Amino acid sequence: MAELTVRAEFAGIVLSVSVEAGRVVEADQELLVIESMKTEIPVGSPKAGRVTGIRVSEGQTVEERQPLVVLET
Amino acid sequence: MAGAEDWSPELAEIAEREAMAAEMGGPERVKRQKDGGKLTVRERIAGLLDPGSFHEIGGLSGHAEYDEQNRLTKLTPSSFVLGRGRIDGRPVVVGGNDFTVRASGPDPAAGKKSIAAERLALELKVPLIRLIDGFGGSVRTQDALGRTYIPDNPGWEHMVANLGQVPVVALGLGTIAGIHAARLIASHYSVMVRGKSHMFMAGPPVMARLGQTFTKEELGGADLQAKAGACDAVAETEEEAFALARRFLSYLPASVHELPEQTAPSDQPDRRDDWLLSAIPRNRRKAYDARRIVRALVDRDSFFEIGAAFGGSMITGLARFDGWPVALMASNPMVYGGGWTAEASQKVSRFVDFANVFHLPVITLVDIPGFVIGLEAEMAGTVRHGGRALTAIYQSQVPWCSVILRKSFGVAGAGHTDHSRVQYRFAWPSADWGSMPVEGGVEAAYRAEIEAAPDREAKRQEIEDRLNAVRSPLRSAEHFLIEEMIDPRDTRRLLCEFANLTAKLRRPGPVSFGVRP
Repeated sequence: MAELTVRAEFAGIVLSVSVEAGRVVEADQELLVIESMKTEIPVGSPKAGRVTGIRVSEGQTVEERQPLVVLET
Repeated sequence: MAGAEDWSPELAEIAEREAMAAEMGGPERVKRQKDGGKLTVRERIAGLLDPGSFHEIGGLSGHAEYDEQNRLTKLTPSSFVLGRGRIDGRPVVVGGNDFTVRASGPDPAAGKKSIAAERLALELKVPLIRLIDGFGGSVRTQDALGRTYIPDNPGWEHMVANLGQVPVVALGLGTIAGIHAARLIASHYSVMVRGKSHMFMAGPPVMARLGQTFTKEELGGADLQAKAGACDAVAETEEEAFALARRFLSYLPASVHELPEQTAPSDQPDRRDDWLLSAIPRNRRKAYDARRIVRALVDRDSFFEIGAAFGGSMITGLARFDGWPVALMASNPMVYGGGWTAEASQKVSRFVDFANVFHLPVITLVDIPGFVIGLEAEMAGTVRHGGRALTAIYQSQVPWCSVILRKSFGVAGAGHTDHSRVQYRFAWPSADWGSMPVEGGVEAAYRAEIEAAPDREAKRQEIEDRLNAVRSPLRSAEHFLIEEMIDPRDTRRLLCEFANLTAKLRRPGPVSFGVRP
């Protein structure tokens, strides 16, 4: 079991969070949607695993590299 | 039968010395290298080149030890292995550091051989591959010399020359720092190996003395350096790094004095993928998978991405259309909606310069909402790096084709082409362009009008509706502002035609400046 922090690859505003703590996710499954440059961009899970923490909430501004979701893989 | 008068004894001694050199730094050090999960330099060369094609140069150089009768007792080879070889049947020069030999004695030949590799590739006009595994300078040199010296970067002038003359691939295969880190980035394509290769200007021991503790991975791991744009790709294994190097070179001429060659076409030039008609969502706010579009357009399996981890809003790579190599760029709406960041701009500058040096026609798939905006973007000097990218585009002389898939807004959007050239340009029906998107521009442009209105929201909406009504790209086409509006499914056929038509326009020879890494 390894912990994996999914970080923002780009700055924007969290439009929606698609998962909750405890959810088992597949690789590429949508974790949240961030709006950036007027585009709604889904952020997928880099690996299969279980969501152990959500670090952001809807409406929140995020910067590059900011932790978004923590996974147990 | 060799007689007593011939030179057999000397040949035997040469063979004996070669056998000693083949031992590299000795069994113990070789074992340490292998235990670290790394190949030796000779295994690396064998893994990179066509089987049996390596022809070593300077294999007898090294540190010799003699007994009282001046008989050779030991030859520790130089820590740099140099030679010629072939990749896919084409000649190359290869040079690699032998980490098992490092620090085992004075090694004046190593630096000379490293420079000889650079000069040989330049002279023979063939690609150069650097297999890098070593640190930079040390204050121990000062102890040995009994003096210090003004630093220079030996051979840098040849590296600079090569960047404008022959393809240079650098593979970072160990812990590399100092001049070796500079040798890695001073290339057209560089690869590091995940978990096995690390790069930094100064390593963890130096940082620890400054009170900052890092592991090698934390300070200079392959993924970190790829994300920073300091290397172009990350391989899982050394073997994969060799495969990447070979594939990269397969698209390029042996030198700028030749042209990229057409391979036997492996795909139908008129292949039409129906899903392309729905590849761009009708909702302008939705992102899509740009790499899937790229793969659908190029010759099957021919897309070779470069720098995927850096400046993610632009995708860059080599590809083939009807067998012709091209430099392909595509906006990636999955990162900043395809907006140009400082990093994406740097990536474009370097890539366009690279295409220009090796006579690769450029095809660019455009969905650029503009430069990324905001405080971070300003602090990153986005306009400087963006302006530099636009300059690289206007300085390029290779055939250029733009396909506008969706947005082309503002100064960055204009940078999809040098507008002063004859435009070889297409737009998909999803095209949407202007100085800025209506959604963001109304408030700024009509502030007074909106503020004076009794119902401001209604006024804003009224203006937005009015502007949206004239937004269709077909209205631009009426004025010949876009050359062709096309069915996305015809794109591949048209790009293959572009590659065939412009192939003969390419001109071999050096361009006025090389790639600045």
